[in-house]
Amino acid sequence: MMHVFTEEKWNDYIEGQIDDEARDRIEAHLIGCLSCWEFYERMANATRALRVSGAGMRAIFALQDQQLSAGLRGVFAKINGVEVERSERVARPRRAIQQKLDALTAVMAPMCGSQTAIKALRAAAQVSPARSLEWVTEDNWTSFLSSLKSIAAVMCGETGARLVWESGQF
Amino acid sequence: MVRRKNSSPVKQNATVAASLMASRRFRSNTSLIWNKSLVEDRQTIENFLLTGADEDFCALFEAVYPRVRRYFLLRGMEAGEAEDLAQDVMVIVYQRAGEVREKEFFHGWVFKVAKNELARFWRRRQTRSRLAEMEPLDDKLAEKLMTEMEVAGSSDFVEWVSYLEPAERDIIILRFVEELSYEELAVALAIPIGTVKWRLFNAKKKLAPIIKASLPKVRPRIN
Repeated sequence: MMHVFTEEKWNDYIEGQIDDEARDRIEAHLIGCLSCWEFYERMANATRALRVSGAGMRAIFALQDQQLSAGLRGVFAKINGVEVERSERVARPRRAIQQKLDALTAVMAPMCGSQTAIKALRAAAQVSPARSLEWVTEDNWTSFLSSLKSIAAVMCGETGARLVWESGQF
Repeated sequence: MVRRKNSSPVKQNATVAASLMASRRFRSNTSLIWNKSLVEDRQTIENFLLTGADEDFCALFEAVYPRVRRYFLLRGMEAGEAEDLAQDVMVIVYQRAGEVREKEFFHGWVFKVAKNELARFWRRRQTRSRLAEMEPLDDKLAEKLMTEMEVAGSSDFVEWVSYLEPAERDIIILRFVEELSYEELAVALAIPIGTVKWRLFNAKKKLAPIIKASLPKVRPRIN
Protein backbone atom coordinates (compact mmCIF):
# COMPACT_ATOMS: atom_id res chain seq x y z
CA MET A 1 0.00 0.00 0.00
CA MET A 2 1.50 3.36 -1.01
CA HIS A 3 -0.76 6.35 -0.56
CA VAL A 4 -0.20 9.66 -2.36
CA PHE A 5 3.52 9.28 -3.03
CA THR A 6 5.25 7.87 -6.09
CA GLU A 7 7.72 4.98 -5.98
CA GLU A 8 10.50 7.46 -6.68
CA LYS A 9 9.55 9.62 -3.71
CA TRP A 10 9.28 6.60 -1.42
CA ASN A 11 12.64 5.39 -2.57
CA ASP A 12 14.22 8.81 -1.98
CA TYR A 13 12.70 8.96 1.48
CA ILE A 14 13.80 5.46 2.48
CA GLU A 15 17.30 6.11 1.15
CA GLY A 16 17.44 9.45 2.97
CA GLN A 17 17.86 11.46 -0.23
CA ILE A 18 14.76 13.60 -0.23
CA ASP A 19 14.30 17.34 0.15
CA ASP A 20 13.01 18.67 3.48
CA GLU A 21 9.59 19.65 2.21
CA ALA A 22 8.78 16.25 0.70
CA ARG A 23 10.19 14.52 3.76
CA ASP A 24 7.92 16.51 6.07
CA ARG A 25 4.92 15.66 3.90
CA ILE A 26 5.72 11.95 3.95
CA GLU A 27 6.33 11.96 7.68
CA ALA A 28 3.10 13.82 8.35
CA HIS A 29 1.32 11.15 6.32
CA LEU A 30 3.14 8.29 8.03
CA ILE A 31 2.03 9.47 11.48
CA GLY A 32 -1.61 9.14 10.48
CA CYS A 33 -1.58 6.15 8.08
CA LEU A 34 -0.97 2.75 9.59
CA SER A 35 -0.73 0.83 6.30
CA CYS A 36 1.86 3.24 4.91
CA TRP A 37 3.78 3.12 8.17
CA GLU A 38 3.92 -0.67 8.03
CA PHE A 39 4.97 -0.53 4.41
CA TYR A 40 7.66 2.05 5.22
CA GLU A 41 8.90 -0.06 8.13
CA ARG A 42 9.23 -3.16 5.93
CA MET A 43 11.07 -1.22 3.24
CA ALA A 44 13.29 0.64 5.71
CA ASN A 45 14.21 -2.63 7.44
CA ALA A 46 15.03 -4.20 4.09
CA THR A 47 17.17 -1.19 3.13
CA ARG A 48 18.99 -1.27 6.48
CA ALA A 49 19.56 -5.02 6.20
CA LEU A 50 20.90 -4.61 2.67
CA ARG A 51 23.26 -1.84 3.81
CA VAL A 52 24.60 -3.91 6.70
CA SER A 53 24.87 -7.01 4.53
CA GLY A 54 26.51 -5.01 1.74
CA ALA A 55 29.15 -3.81 4.20
CA GLY A 56 29.65 -7.46 5.20
CA MET A 57 30.24 -8.35 1.56
CA ARG A 58 32.88 -5.63 1.28
CA ALA A 59 34.68 -7.12 4.28
CA ILE A 60 34.49 -10.71 2.94
CA PHE A 61 35.92 -9.74 -0.43
CA ALA A 62 38.62 -7.42 0.91
CA LEU A 63 41.94 -8.15 -0.83
CA GLN A 64 45.34 -8.79 0.74
CA ASP A 65 48.33 -6.73 -0.45
CA GLN A 66 49.73 -9.80 -2.20
CA GLN A 67 46.52 -10.31 -4.19
CA LEU A 68 46.48 -6.63 -5.10
CA SER A 69 50.04 -6.62 -6.34
CA ALA A 70 49.45 -9.84 -8.31
CA GLY A 71 46.43 -8.16 -9.91
CA LEU A 72 48.45 -5.04 -10.71
CA ARG A 73 51.24 -7.12 -12.26
CA GLY A 74 48.59 -8.90 -14.34
CA VAL A 75 47.20 -5.59 -15.56
CA PHE A 76 50.61 -4.20 -16.53
CA ALA A 77 51.49 -7.48 -18.27
CA LYS A 78 48.28 -7.17 -20.27
CA ILE A 79 48.94 -3.49 -21.04
CA ASN A 80 52.48 -4.32 -22.20
CA GLY A 81 51.15 -7.24 -24.22
CA VAL A 82 48.68 -4.97 -25.97
CA GLU A 83 51.39 -2.37 -26.65
CA VAL A 84 53.84 -4.95 -28.02
CA GLU A 85 51.09 -6.26 -30.29
CA ARG A 86 50.28 -2.72 -31.41
CA SER A 87 53.92 -1.86 -32.14
CA GLU A 88 54.26 -5.14 -34.05
CA ARG A 89 51.21 -4.20 -36.08
CA VAL A 90 52.96 -0.92 -36.95
CA ALA A 91 56.36 -2.56 -37.48
CA ARG A 92 55.10 -5.27 -39.84
CA PRO A 93 54.08 -2.92 -42.73
CA ARG A 94 57.20 -0.83 -42.04
CA ARG A 95 59.35 -3.89 -42.74
CA ALA A 96 57.46 -4.48 -45.98
CA ILE A 97 58.00 -0.83 -47.02
CA GLN A 98 61.72 -1.07 -46.26
CA GLN A 99 62.00 -4.21 -48.43
CA LYS A 100 60.29 -2.39 -51.30
CA LEU A 101 62.62 0.63 -50.93
CA ASP A 102 65.63 -1.72 -51.03
CA ALA A 103 64.21 -3.40 -54.12
CA LEU A 104 63.75 -0.02 -55.87
CA THR A 105 67.35 0.96 -55.04
CA ALA A 106 68.51 -2.35 -56.48
CA VAL A 107 66.53 -1.75 -59.70
CA MET A 108 67.84 1.81 -60.17
CA ALA A 109 71.48 1.21 -59.12
CA PRO A 110 72.63 -0.48 -62.37
CA MET A 111 71.12 2.40 -64.38
CA CYS A 112 72.38 5.41 -62.42
CA GLY A 113 74.60 4.14 -59.59
CA SER A 114 73.56 3.23 -56.07
CA GLN A 115 74.29 6.65 -54.47
CA THR A 116 72.22 8.44 -57.10
CA ALA A 117 69.45 5.86 -56.71
CA ILE A 118 69.31 6.58 -52.96
CA LYS A 119 69.29 10.34 -53.64
CA ALA A 120 66.44 9.85 -56.14
CA LEU A 121 64.44 7.93 -53.55
CA ARG A 122 65.00 10.70 -50.99
CA ALA A 123 63.99 13.39 -53.47
CA ALA A 124 60.82 11.46 -54.41
CA ALA A 125 59.94 11.13 -50.71
CA GLN A 126 60.50 14.87 -50.18
CA VAL A 127 58.09 15.90 -52.91
CA SER A 128 55.49 13.32 -51.85
CA PRO A 129 53.15 13.73 -48.82
CA ALA A 130 55.59 11.55 -46.80
CA ARG A 131 58.18 14.41 -46.87
CA SER A 132 60.96 11.98 -45.88
CA LEU A 133 61.93 8.34 -46.56
CA GLU A 134 61.27 7.39 -42.93
CA TRP A 135 57.65 8.46 -43.23
CA VAL A 136 56.86 6.59 -46.43
CA THR A 137 53.98 4.27 -45.57
CA GLU A 138 51.39 2.15 -47.37
CA ASP A 139 49.07 5.16 -47.31
CA ASN A 140 51.38 7.56 -49.16
CA TRP A 141 53.21 4.89 -51.19
CA THR A 142 51.44 5.54 -54.49
CA SER A 143 52.27 9.27 -54.55
CA PHE A 144 55.86 8.49 -53.52
CA LEU A 145 56.16 5.94 -56.31
CA SER A 146 54.74 8.25 -59.00
CA SER A 147 57.22 10.98 -57.91
CA LEU A 148 60.03 8.43 -58.16
CA LYS A 149 58.77 7.37 -61.59
CA SER A 150 58.98 11.00 -62.82
CA ILE A 151 62.53 11.34 -61.45
CA ALA A 152 63.53 7.97 -62.92
CA ALA A 153 62.14 9.05 -66.31
CA VAL A 154 64.64 11.95 -66.35
CA MET A 155 67.56 9.92 -65.02
CA CYS A 156 67.06 6.50 -66.61
CA GLY A 157 64.63 7.09 -69.48
CA GLU A 158 61.04 5.87 -70.03
CA THR A 159 61.97 2.17 -69.89
CA GLY A 160 63.81 2.61 -66.59
CA ALA A 161 60.87 4.61 -65.21
CA ARG A 162 58.43 1.88 -66.23
CA LEU A 163 60.66 -0.71 -64.58
CA VAL A 164 60.74 1.35 -61.38
CA TRP A 165 56.95 1.72 -61.46
CA GLU A 166 56.41 -2.01 -61.88
CA SER A 167 58.95 -2.97 -59.25
CA GLY A 168 57.32 -0.60 -56.81
CA GLN A 169 53.89 -2.28 -57.00
CA PHE A 170 52.78 -4.26 -53.92
CA MET B 1 10.85 -0.88 17.50
CA VAL B 2 7.63 -2.71 16.81
CA ARG B 3 4.42 -0.94 16.21
CA ARG B 4 1.32 -2.92 17.08
CA LYS B 5 -2.08 -2.35 15.63
CA ASN B 6 -3.78 -2.44 19.02
CA SER B 7 -1.75 0.37 20.67
CA SER B 8 -3.45 3.72 21.29
CA PRO B 9 -3.24 6.39 18.51
CA VAL B 10 -1.36 8.87 20.78
CA LYS B 11 1.20 6.24 21.77
CA GLN B 12 1.43 5.13 18.14
CA ASN B 13 2.19 8.65 16.98
CA ALA B 14 4.84 9.16 19.66
CA THR B 15 6.54 5.87 18.75
CA VAL B 16 6.40 6.65 15.04
CA ALA B 17 7.93 10.11 15.64
CA ALA B 18 10.72 8.66 17.83
CA SER B 19 11.45 6.02 15.23
CA LEU B 20 11.54 8.61 12.46
CA MET B 21 14.09 10.67 14.44
CA ALA B 22 16.25 7.58 15.01
CA SER B 23 16.25 6.73 11.32
CA ARG B 24 17.23 10.33 10.46
CA ARG B 25 20.20 10.08 12.86
CA PHE B 26 21.21 6.71 11.35
CA ARG B 27 21.16 8.19 7.85
CA SER B 28 23.17 11.26 8.80
CA ASN B 29 25.88 9.15 10.56
CA THR B 30 26.31 6.78 7.64
CA SER B 31 26.49 9.66 5.18
CA LEU B 32 29.37 11.25 7.17
CA ILE B 33 31.50 8.10 6.88
CA TRP B 34 30.56 7.70 3.24
CA ASN B 35 31.46 11.31 2.38
CA LYS B 36 35.00 10.93 3.79
CA SER B 37 35.86 7.92 1.65
CA LEU B 38 34.18 9.63 -1.29
CA VAL B 39 36.54 12.62 -1.06
CA GLU B 40 39.64 10.36 -0.96
CA ASP B 41 38.28 8.35 -3.86
CA ARG B 42 37.60 11.46 -5.92
CA GLN B 43 41.14 12.72 -5.32
CA THR B 44 42.62 9.44 -6.57
CA ILE B 45 40.46 9.52 -9.68
CA GLU B 46 41.24 13.16 -10.41
CA ASN B 47 44.98 12.56 -10.05
CA PHE B 48 44.95 9.75 -12.59
CA LEU B 49 42.70 11.57 -15.03
CA LEU B 50 44.96 14.60 -14.78
CA THR B 51 48.37 12.93 -15.14
CA GLY B 52 47.68 9.46 -16.60
CA ALA B 53 50.89 8.46 -14.79
CA ASP B 54 51.55 4.85 -13.75
CA GLU B 55 51.94 5.82 -10.05
CA ASP B 56 48.52 7.44 -10.07
CA PHE B 57 47.12 4.43 -11.87
CA CYS B 58 48.46 2.21 -9.05
CA ALA B 59 46.51 4.26 -6.49
CA LEU B 60 43.42 4.10 -8.67
CA PHE B 61 43.92 0.36 -9.13
CA GLU B 62 43.93 -0.12 -5.38
CA ALA B 63 40.60 1.68 -5.11
CA VAL B 64 38.86 0.23 -8.15
CA TYR B 65 40.15 -3.32 -8.79
CA PRO B 66 38.79 -4.91 -5.57
CA ARG B 67 35.36 -3.46 -6.31
CA VAL B 68 35.24 -4.70 -9.89
CA ARG B 69 36.50 -8.14 -8.85
CA ARG B 70 33.88 -8.30 -6.09
CA TYR B 71 31.15 -7.33 -8.55
CA PHE B 72 32.15 -10.20 -10.84
CA LEU B 73 32.25 -12.65 -7.94
CA LEU B 74 28.82 -11.59 -6.77
CA ARG B 75 27.56 -12.00 -10.33
CA GLY B 76 28.53 -15.66 -10.06
CA MET B 77 32.00 -15.92 -11.55
CA GLU B 78 34.82 -18.16 -10.32
CA ALA B 79 37.67 -16.39 -8.51
CA GLY B 80 40.19 -16.88 -11.35
CA GLU B 81 37.74 -15.69 -13.99
CA ALA B 82 36.72 -12.71 -11.87
CA GLU B 83 40.36 -11.68 -11.44
CA ASP B 84 41.12 -12.05 -15.13
CA LEU B 85 38.08 -10.08 -16.17
CA ALA B 86 38.68 -7.39 -13.52
CA GLN B 87 42.21 -7.01 -14.93
CA ASP B 88 40.75 -6.60 -18.43
CA VAL B 89 38.50 -3.85 -17.07
CA MET B 90 41.51 -2.14 -15.48
CA VAL B 91 43.40 -2.30 -18.80
CA ILE B 92 40.45 -0.50 -20.43
CA VAL B 93 40.45 2.04 -17.56
CA TYR B 94 44.19 2.62 -18.12
CA GLN B 95 43.81 3.08 -21.85
CA ARG B 96 40.48 4.86 -22.14
CA ALA B 97 39.98 6.82 -18.92
CA GLY B 98 40.66 9.97 -20.94
CA GLU B 99 37.35 9.42 -22.73
CA VAL B 100 35.35 9.82 -19.49
CA ARG B 101 33.24 12.92 -19.94
CA GLU B 102 31.87 13.29 -16.40
CA LYS B 103 34.63 12.45 -13.99
CA GLU B 104 32.32 12.73 -10.96
CA PHE B 105 30.55 9.61 -12.27
CA PHE B 106 33.80 7.77 -12.91
CA HIS B 107 32.72 4.68 -10.94
CA GLY B 108 29.53 4.57 -12.98
CA TRP B 109 31.66 4.45 -16.13
CA VAL B 110 33.92 1.74 -14.66
CA PHE B 111 30.94 -0.46 -13.84
CA LYS B 112 29.46 0.17 -17.26
CA VAL B 113 32.71 -1.19 -18.72
CA ALA B 114 32.57 -4.08 -16.22
CA LYS B 115 29.00 -4.88 -17.19
CA ASN B 116 29.91 -4.92 -20.89
CA GLU B 117 32.92 -7.15 -20.21
CA LEU B 118 30.70 -9.50 -18.21
CA ALA B 119 28.21 -9.70 -21.07
CA ARG B 120 31.05 -10.46 -23.51
CA PHE B 121 32.39 -13.11 -21.14
CA TRP B 122 29.03 -14.90 -20.93
CA ARG B 123 28.66 -14.76 -24.71
CA ARG B 124 32.14 -16.27 -25.19
CA ARG B 125 31.45 -18.95 -22.59
CA GLN B 126 28.16 -19.83 -24.26
CA THR B 127 29.93 -20.33 -27.58
CA ARG B 128 32.66 -22.40 -25.95
CA SER B 129 30.26 -24.59 -24.02
CA ARG B 130 28.47 -25.39 -27.27
CA LEU B 131 31.76 -26.66 -28.66
CA ALA B 132 33.02 -28.65 -25.71
CA GLU B 133 31.38 -30.60 -22.95
CA MET B 134 32.49 -29.62 -19.44
CA GLU B 135 34.71 -32.16 -17.76
CA PRO B 136 33.77 -33.04 -14.19
CA LEU B 137 36.22 -31.77 -11.54
CA ASP B 138 38.13 -34.35 -9.61
CA ASP B 139 37.94 -34.10 -5.80
CA LYS B 140 41.45 -32.70 -5.36
CA LEU B 141 40.92 -29.92 -7.87
CA ALA B 142 37.51 -29.09 -6.45
CA GLU B 143 39.11 -28.78 -3.00
CA LYS B 144 41.66 -26.32 -4.41
CA LEU B 145 38.93 -24.16 -5.82
CA MET B 146 37.87 -22.92 -2.38
CA THR B 147 36.93 -19.31 -2.89
CA GLU B 148 35.56 -16.44 -0.90
CA MET B 149 32.25 -17.29 -2.53
CA GLU B 150 31.98 -20.24 -0.17
CA VAL B 151 32.16 -17.85 2.75
CA ALA B 152 29.95 -15.34 1.01
CA GLY B 153 27.57 -18.09 -0.10
CA SER B 154 26.53 -18.65 3.47
CA SER B 155 25.74 -14.95 3.91
CA ASP B 156 22.24 -13.57 3.70
CA PHE B 157 23.10 -11.10 0.95
CA VAL B 158 24.03 -13.75 -1.61
CA GLU B 159 20.86 -15.69 -0.77
CA TRP B 160 18.69 -12.59 -1.06
CA VAL B 161 20.01 -11.51 -4.44
CA SER B 162 19.57 -15.03 -5.77
CA TYR B 163 15.81 -14.34 -5.75
CA LEU B 164 16.25 -11.41 -8.13
CA GLU B 165 16.42 -11.12 -11.91
CA PRO B 166 19.91 -10.28 -13.28
CA ALA B 167 19.02 -6.60 -13.84
CA GLU B 168 17.66 -6.28 -10.29
CA ARG B 169 20.68 -8.13 -8.92
CA ASP B 170 22.96 -5.63 -10.69
CA ILE B 171 21.26 -2.62 -9.19
CA ILE B 172 21.17 -4.08 -5.65
CA ILE B 173 24.85 -5.11 -5.75
CA LEU B 174 25.98 -1.79 -7.20
CA ARG B 175 23.90 0.21 -4.74
CA PHE B 176 24.46 -1.67 -1.49
CA VAL B 177 27.86 -3.31 -1.93
CA GLU B 178 29.56 -0.79 -4.22
CA GLU B 179 27.61 2.19 -2.87
CA LEU B 180 27.13 3.87 -6.24
CA SER B 181 25.04 7.04 -6.24
CA TYR B 182 21.87 7.31 -8.33
CA GLU B 183 23.81 9.26 -10.96
CA GLU B 184 26.58 6.66 -11.09
CA LEU B 185 23.99 3.90 -11.33
CA ALA B 186 22.37 5.73 -14.23
CA VAL B 187 25.73 5.83 -16.04
CA ALA B 188 26.61 2.22 -15.18
CA LEU B 189 23.29 0.78 -16.26
CA ALA B 190 22.69 3.29 -19.07
CA ILE B 191 19.19 4.20 -17.82
CA PRO B 192 17.62 7.48 -16.63
CA ILE B 193 17.77 8.36 -12.91
CA GLY B 194 14.00 7.98 -12.58
CA THR B 195 14.28 4.38 -13.82
CA VAL B 196 17.16 3.79 -11.38
CA LYS B 197 14.93 4.81 -8.46
CA TRP B 198 11.98 2.83 -9.76
CA ARG B 199 14.07 -0.33 -10.26
CA LEU B 200 15.73 0.06 -6.88
CA PHE B 201 12.39 0.51 -5.17
CA ASN B 202 10.85 -2.53 -6.86
CA ALA B 203 13.85 -4.74 -6.18
CA LYS B 204 13.70 -3.77 -2.50
CA LYS B 205 9.94 -4.32 -2.46
CA LYS B 206 10.53 -7.82 -3.82
CA LEU B 207 13.24 -8.46 -1.24
CA ALA B 208 11.43 -7.00 1.78
CA PRO B 209 9.39 -10.13 2.67
CA ILE B 210 12.39 -12.40 1.93
CA ILE B 211 14.62 -10.31 4.19
CA LYS B 212 11.97 -10.17 6.88
CA ALA B 213 11.62 -13.95 6.82
CA SER B 214 15.37 -14.57 6.95
CA LEU B 215 16.22 -12.22 9.80
CA PRO B 216 15.78 -13.31 13.43
CA LYS B 217 12.37 -12.24 14.68
CA VAL B 218 12.21 -9.35 17.18
CA ARG B 219 9.86 -10.12 19.99
CA PRO B 220 7.35 -7.36 20.77
CA ARG B 221 7.93 -5.75 24.14
CA ILE B 222 5.30 -6.38 26.75
CA ASN B 223 4.38 -3.20 28.56
